[in-house]
Formats: sequence, C-alpha cells, structure tokens
Amino acid sequence: MIAAAAPRRAAALTVALLLTAIMRSLLLPIGELAAAVGFVIALAGLLVVERRMDSVLSRHPHPTLPTRGREIGQQRSETPFWLGAAAGVGVGLVLLLPVMGAAASGRPLSGFWGWGAAIVVIATLEEVVLRGRLQPAWTAEAGPVAGLVLSAAVFALIHLPRYGLGAMPLDFAVGLALGGLRAVTGRVAPCAIAHVIADWGAWFWL
Amino acid sequence: MVLAVTARQAGKLALVIGLAVAVLLPSGPRPALFDGLPLPQAPYRYVNPPPDLASSNQPPGSGQATLPVQNGQVPGGGVQTSDGQVLVYFGLGALRASSSAQSATIRIDPVTDPPAPPRASQIRGNVYRVSATEEPGGGEVTVVRGYNITMRYPPGPFQELQFYDGTNWHSLRTTTVSGNPYAGATPTALGEIAATAPAGAGGESLLTILARIVESYGLLAFIIVFGGIAVAQEIRRRRRT
Repeated sequence: MIAAAAPRRAAALTVALLLTAIMRSLLLPIGELAAAVGFVIALAGLLVVERRMDSVLSRHPHPTLPTRGREIGQQRSETPFWLGAAAGVGVGLVLLLPVMGAAASGRPLSGFWGWGAAIVVIATLEEVVLRGRLQPAWTAEAGPVAGLVLSAAVFALIHLPRYGLGAMPLDFAVGLALGGLRAVTGRVAPCAIAHVIADWGAWFWL
Repeated sequence: MVLAVTARQAGKLALVIGLAVAVLLPSGPRPALFDGLPLPQAPYRYVNPPPDLASSNQPPGSGQATLPVQNGQVPGGGVQTSDGQVLVYFGLGALRASSSAQSATIRIDPVTDPPAPPRASQIRGNVYRVSATEEPGGGEVTVVRGYNITMRYPPGPFQELQFYDGTNWHSLRTTTVSGNPYAGATPTALGEIAATAPAGAGGESLLTILARIVESYGLLAFIIVFGGIAVAQEIRRRRRT
C-alpha cells in the first residue's frame, strides 16, 4: 500500500497545493487578509501531512523513492549558507529591477514592519512547500527538468486566482528562477530570501 | 553524482532564463506581489495637505492620453493619473471633435486653485479638472454622452462626487463600494470634479478606527505567529535529518 502510494506523492502534493489556491480564492470575498490567513493555515497543514508521510515512509522505505528532499542527489552538494544567502539577495534585487524605475509609493516605513514580517512568513512557507518539498518530489519521480518546470507551473497556478491570467508568464518565469536557485544552491533559504525581497519591493514602489 | 551535475546544470539554465524573462517581460498586468498580502493603500496625495500630513505628503499626479479621431468621432479610451487617484473612461462616441481633427488629447489635472466648496458641503481631497482638446488646432472637444470617472477620496467622511461647471456645483449620481475609497460617477460635461461631504461632518469614530486596527493587526499577528511556528518546526525537522 505504501509502495503504491509513494510514487504519487508529487502529484498528490501538486493537487493539494492547487486546492489551497482555490480555497484562498473562495475566501477572497471575506477579505484579502482573511484569505491570506486561510492560505497560511493550509500551507502549514500541508507541511504537517508531509512530515507524517516522511515518518511513514521511513518505516516502510520504497526502494526507488527518496523520502525527503535532502536525500535527493542534487541536495547533497549544498553551497555554504552565506553564499546561498548572497545569491538569494542578488536574485531578489534582480527581480525588483522592473519596478525600481516606478515612482515611489510614498507608503510610510512605520507601517511596513508588520506587513513585512507577515510577508517573510508567507513567502518562506510557500518556498518551503514549493521548493523544499514539491520540486524535490517531482525531481525524484521525473527528473530535474520536470521538477523545475512543474514546480514553476504550480507556483504560477497558485497565483492565478489573485492576479489573473495576465500575470501567469511573469509568475512562471519567477518560479523558474527560484527553482533554478534551489537546484544550484541546494538550499531553500536563498529562494525564500529572494522571494521576500521581491515582495518587499512592492511596498516601496507599487 | 550524475544526477547532481544534471540538476545543477538544469538549475543554472532555469535561473538565467527565469530571471531574463522576469526582467524583460513588458510591464502591463504586472502583479503587485508574487504572492502574499494585500498592500495597504498608498497615502492620499493632496494638493493642499492637512497640517499633520504636510511633511509626508507627495504631490498628486496628472494624466494624459491621446486618442485618434475619425470623422470627428473619438473611438473611446481611458486615462488615469500617474498615482491612480483618478481614472476616466470614455465609451465609443462619447466625445465629438471637429471633422478636421486627427486626434484628441484628454487630460486629468489636480486643480491648484479650486473653486469655493459647494453650499453646505466640504471638498474632500483634491479637485480634478478633466479636459479634452483636439489636434490640430487645439479646439475643445465636446461630450456627447456621459463618461465614467472613478475618483479616490481621502480617509474620512464622504457623501458624493460633485461637478463644477465654472459657476455652480452639481451633484452627480455616485456609486461607492464598501471598504473601497473610490467613488464613481457619469458626468455629461468636461470640467472640475471633486469628492464632497456634508459641511462639518467629522472623521471616523474611535470605535471604527479601533475595529479596523484590531482586524488588520490581529490577522497580521496571526499570520506571523502561526506561520512562524510552522516554519520553525520545518527548520528543526530539517536540522534533525
């Protein structure tokens, strides 16, 4: 039973992630903030379920399937943390380039901290699930290119309800870049750093 | 080892392609965020800010669009101010120019010397002038049919949009959406338009302000605490394995 279920883990996680996005869009009429809270709860719930799966699979190992992201070949060669973090900062700044030319939003710095902290949490959770779980799962099952492309596609799809079809190419490209960063550094933290910096820029320029 | 090399190479390629596309994509429907929380509204930009906002106030923006004219008819289009505080949309045939006109330039400008407020009302925020001229010649374009205007108003009381024809103010049938500081109307002439409220109407009550703060910051705090615990647990799990 475990052996039959394990190869479908990436697909199941993909479906679960898409369902969280649908749930978020259904919550939007209540309010964007309430929808964001629901999204955070759903992502955290996914992590809990994934951990349970880890412990089940570690008791019943499948011969061809790594049970955790860290055991997949690409993650064995992690770059040093500081180097990865610097790469994350660099990627985040590059992603901000298109908006840096816009006029400053004028939002006061005093209001930034609570919003900025919440962004850290949401972006990090998203990266942990997408780049820390989904990408390695697809990489293990279908290869690194499939891992990159599918996790970027899911990244774009979960933003569809909030930003519409027009934003899909940009979100897919950003997903590809963050997936690439994950594969190159072997770490999730640089992706989270880049994601957070790109999000923070919206406060100052949009 | 083979997998590691392949994954890294694929990653490098994805990183370069992804970044290049993200940077070079023409701006358009560019999302405010790649994910995350709704952005709070940028502060209202006043022509004449209240004293307590004077130090942080930024000047309001103007907007301009040039639309083609065929046989004196403007095919329709929209224009908005650079700060997004006012948006105007003309439907097909709403504007008429002379038969020799080749284009019509539509402008929205914040008025620096606004007229006196309407009787028994106060002006809330800026007065904006909507104008349209034809080229060549610079003659005025006339409005044949009502056009849509959406105007942002500052925090505080609001009742309706009013139109100033150069002599008198006229009430416009105004639509609003709860919780959204924008009002819409359909003027039938070009001129000056302002958000208004009854004279002497005060700002939000203390209770309303408190409810808003608790709602916003309470939910933010929830995200930070709950999400933070989830992330911390994941990091701990990763360290253990």
